[in-house]
Amino acid sequence: MSAAAPAVAAPNRRAGAGGTARRAAEAALFLGLGLYFAVPMIAVLLYSLATRWTAEVLPEAYTLTWWQSTLADPEILAAFQTTLVLATLTAAVDVALVVPAAYWARVRNPRIRPLVETSAAIPFALPYLVIGFALLQFSGIVAPGLQGTFPLVVLGHCAIAFPFVYWAVDGSMAAAGIERLSEAGETCGAPPWQIIRRIVFPNITPGIVSGSLLAFATSFGEFALTQMVGRGIYTIPIWSASAIRSYSGESGDFNRLAVVTMISFFVLFVLSAIVVYFNRGQAARLLPGAATVDKREQP
Amino acid sequence: MSGVTLERVTKTFSQVHALDDVSLEIVSGELVALLGPSGCGKTTLLRSVAGLEEPTSGRILIGGRDVTGVPTRERPIGMVFQSYALFPNLTVRQNISFPLEVRHRPPAEIRERVAELLEIVRLGPQADRYPHQISGGQAQRCALGRALAPSPEVLLLDEPLSALDALVRTRLRDEIRRIQQLVKTTAIYVTHDQSEAMAIADRVAVMNHGRVEQVAAPPALYEEPATEFAATFVGSRNALELPIADGRIGLGAAFSIAAPAASRERAIAFFRPEDVQVAVGSMGHPAVVEMKIFLGPTTRLHLATAVGDRTARLHADMPSRAAAHLEEGSVVAVRVDPQHVRAFPVDA
Amino acid sequence: MGATASAGSTPIVRESRPTRPSRSSGWIAAWLPAIPLLALVALGLVGPAIVLVAQTFVDAGGFTVAQWTRVLGQAVNQEAIVTSVALGLCSATISLIIGAPVAALVSRMLAGGRAFWLGLLNVAANFGGIGLAFAYLATLGSVGMLTLIIQSLLPSFVPPRSSSVIALLLAYEYTNIPLFVLLTIPAFGVLRDEWWEAAQTASATRVQFWRRVGIPVLTPFLASGWLLIFTWAIGIYGIAYGLAGQSGGTGARIITLQIGSAIQSDVLNGTARAGVLSVVLMAIATVSLLSYRALLRRALRWF
Repeated sequence: MSAAAPAVAAPNRRAGAGGTARRAAEAALFLGLGLYFAVPMIAVLLYSLATRWTAEVLPEAYTLTWWQSTLADPEILAAFQTTLVLATLTAAVDVALVVPAAYWARVRNPRIRPLVETSAAIPFALPYLVIGFALLQFSGIVAPGLQGTFPLVVLGHCAIAFPFVYWAVDGSMAAAGIERLSEAGETCGAPPWQIIRRIVFPNITPGIVSGSLLAFATSFGEFALTQMVGRGIYTIPIWSASAIRSYSGESGDFNRLAVVTMISFFVLFVLSAIVVYFNRGQAARLLPGAATVDKREQP
Repeated sequence: MSGVTLERVTKTFSQVHALDDVSLEIVSGELVALLGPSGCGKTTLLRSVAGLEEPTSGRILIGGRDVTGVPTRERPIGMVFQSYALFPNLTVRQNISFPLEVRHRPPAEIRERVAELLEIVRLGPQADRYPHQISGGQAQRCALGRALAPSPEVLLLDEPLSALDALVRTRLRDEIRRIQQLVKTTAIYVTHDQSEAMAIADRVAVMNHGRVEQVAAPPALYEEPATEFAATFVGSRNALELPIADGRIGLGAAFSIAAPAASRERAIAFFRPEDVQVAVGSMGHPAVVEMKIFLGPTTRLHLATAVGDRTARLHADMPSRAAAHLEEGSVVAVRVDPQHVRAFPVDA
Repeated sequence: MGATASAGSTPIVRESRPTRPSRSSGWIAAWLPAIPLLALVALGLVGPAIVLVAQTFVDAGGFTVAQWTRVLGQAVNQEAIVTSVALGLCSATISLIIGAPVAALVSRMLAGGRAFWLGLLNVAANFGGIGLAFAYLATLGSVGMLTLIIQSLLPSFVPPRSSSVIALLLAYEYTNIPLFVLLTIPAFGVLRDEWWEAAQTASATRVQFWRRVGIPVLTPFLASGWLLIFTWAIGIYGIAYGLAGQSGGTGARIITLQIGSAIQSDVLNGTARAGVLSVVLMAIATVSLLSYRALLRRALRWF
């Protein structure tokens, strides 16, 4: 982190009259940005804690009832469990599939790379809803028995989340110079599995961690595809959707939804914090392809 | 005990000959530098010895044994990479012990050997630092230690100094030579820097377009380049294209030598700036001093002279004290000892 | 020392011929590690896409464009396509106008602050779907917090109907602006401080520098970010689904909602409508992606 500091600090050295005005504008912009992020979150948080809230600027009274009842609701707990299992599986399967392919593309068969990159562009560009619908139609022809089953949902989630894993893992392989390191390992006399275990894995850990967290987050929040192919699979987004749709003005519906939203948001927040930490303050989602510019600045 | 022999090695990348029928014999304990411009095939040759590239045809022998097709990790080699390629997750000590660990040497032996190597490459104080915590020169010494750890029969060095700054470069170059002499290993050293090659190698192999143009000890290469490419690439030389008259080429009263056999109308004559004798008077070929560049002990003169109806430019080096009285624009007479002129036919 | 150690150590050359399996030979060895991933792509993405496109051109009687003419002839579908594209254009443009200056500022921050804002932006960029729809309702819904605050100052204030296009646009921006910022921060890193210094030594003014160097270098990057936001905005489903929930079908008509409702409620024609509209989205996405690639190549041509 600190290594990057002098370079970015440089433009701020110019002080003076223009500097103060600019500083004020910056402060205003960031204040606005902060409020923009914070207000909806505060609103959701207050909803999760409010007894009644219809007329005043702030709720009339606060309670933990909604949190207690939500966390005791077996339906919601089951949905959380399903979501977590699904997201974990998605991340694990994607890592298991992507790492060997990305490694092989770098050390042995460069023709793998354009194929994988083109594949990664599909979920990058196509709406997940369309992918979900396509998968629904496809499974109807190929394996009707799979429709509405958990494995099909896992397949769909893996298919849309793998690009994040690929970009992260491939990026860290490039940063580590994994081809050279593998060759150095070979010239040291190390057998392939030693190279993988002692050289490759330790040096691409950041990529694997952030890639799998991004895949986890993608799966955790995915609604469109799950709704399309997983009729009967009850995840948190699916539960939330039915809660928001069935809102009848009854007190309680929205409050419990607020609790669930806060929890999801918290999960997302923790994941993002870890990803940013592992990327050492670099943006986690780069313009794919523009990343090459970043790399050129480093040597 | 462990020389390297390349027999008619050819490597083709999508129809381009990176190595074109290369044969080379490197004797045990010798340090041979592969010298040439980028893309000449020197790195491909080195990587073929390492087994990182598989030759399209030909054989490679190490210590008399055919290793063509043998996986890298089973070859008796150690390699130092241009970019160091130290394992960033291992300390200096762990990097050096890595080749021993993967060979399952007993721990006591590993400890002893690593301590010995840390001593040799002078990295004792940095032994427990990680690669990102040490300087470039230290990193390359660590890479050298790692390559030498398993006592390889052949040490391969791929432009090991090119990522370092000038001062460190000369120091480390001499250090590599010292260590290579100390451990008496055969070594192949790839570089594009001719002075580095001359300084470090027992013999230099000049490569161009995938072929070995000349293999010679540095003084012989310097004095007697065998090909036009070797003449241009090694050392700084004047190159004058001259017409052939009566089977001879010459520059007025400066010199006259027999034209090379294969040439018909023109030939290129090469000679070094330090072999050009400059005098005031008429004993030689007239030339005009265009520019004077003071280089400390010597001064380089940029001279313009007439070759037939054209103007040719050449450089002459002379002791600075002798050059002191020469002005830019003054006319001098140049001569070159014909012994020091080498001529090659002009490519058709 | 060297000789003895090496003799005792490495079993160097075995009798057996090449254990190195490939480089030149061995199709299987060259591809095997990638096959599971490619299988996932084939089964999860490519196969389905082919089937989806094919089905829109096939009915009981064989090849036909009847589904296309019928679906594209319906006013509701035409309206959905127009609305979606307009929504995408507006969303991307707003993201560009607000996001570009933010990206410029964040890209020049010190590491600590930078990491903080990146984390925040990352959360907001990944926050979407039903959760965001609910957060919008809690903020600007009929009894949302911001609505109540504004009404306490300005009693006549009525928030946009939550299923309207305006509401969708506002909700989309919550995630699209941060996304745009994250996408373009690396591009601002491309602008070197030395360039501005060099321009100053060449007596250029700040305006001249931006006009001649800064903007030409940045434009393709910003344009490709814009294009991505446009593409993704058209494909958003979860937020729209959540916001449209209470409208009873009278809200904004956009392609994704039409696809969703076609499958869920229209048993007779649903698949055909959803199919054609999906392929329309696919076509838009494909054109966008190809343009994006071209733009990015242009952006990188000087590097």
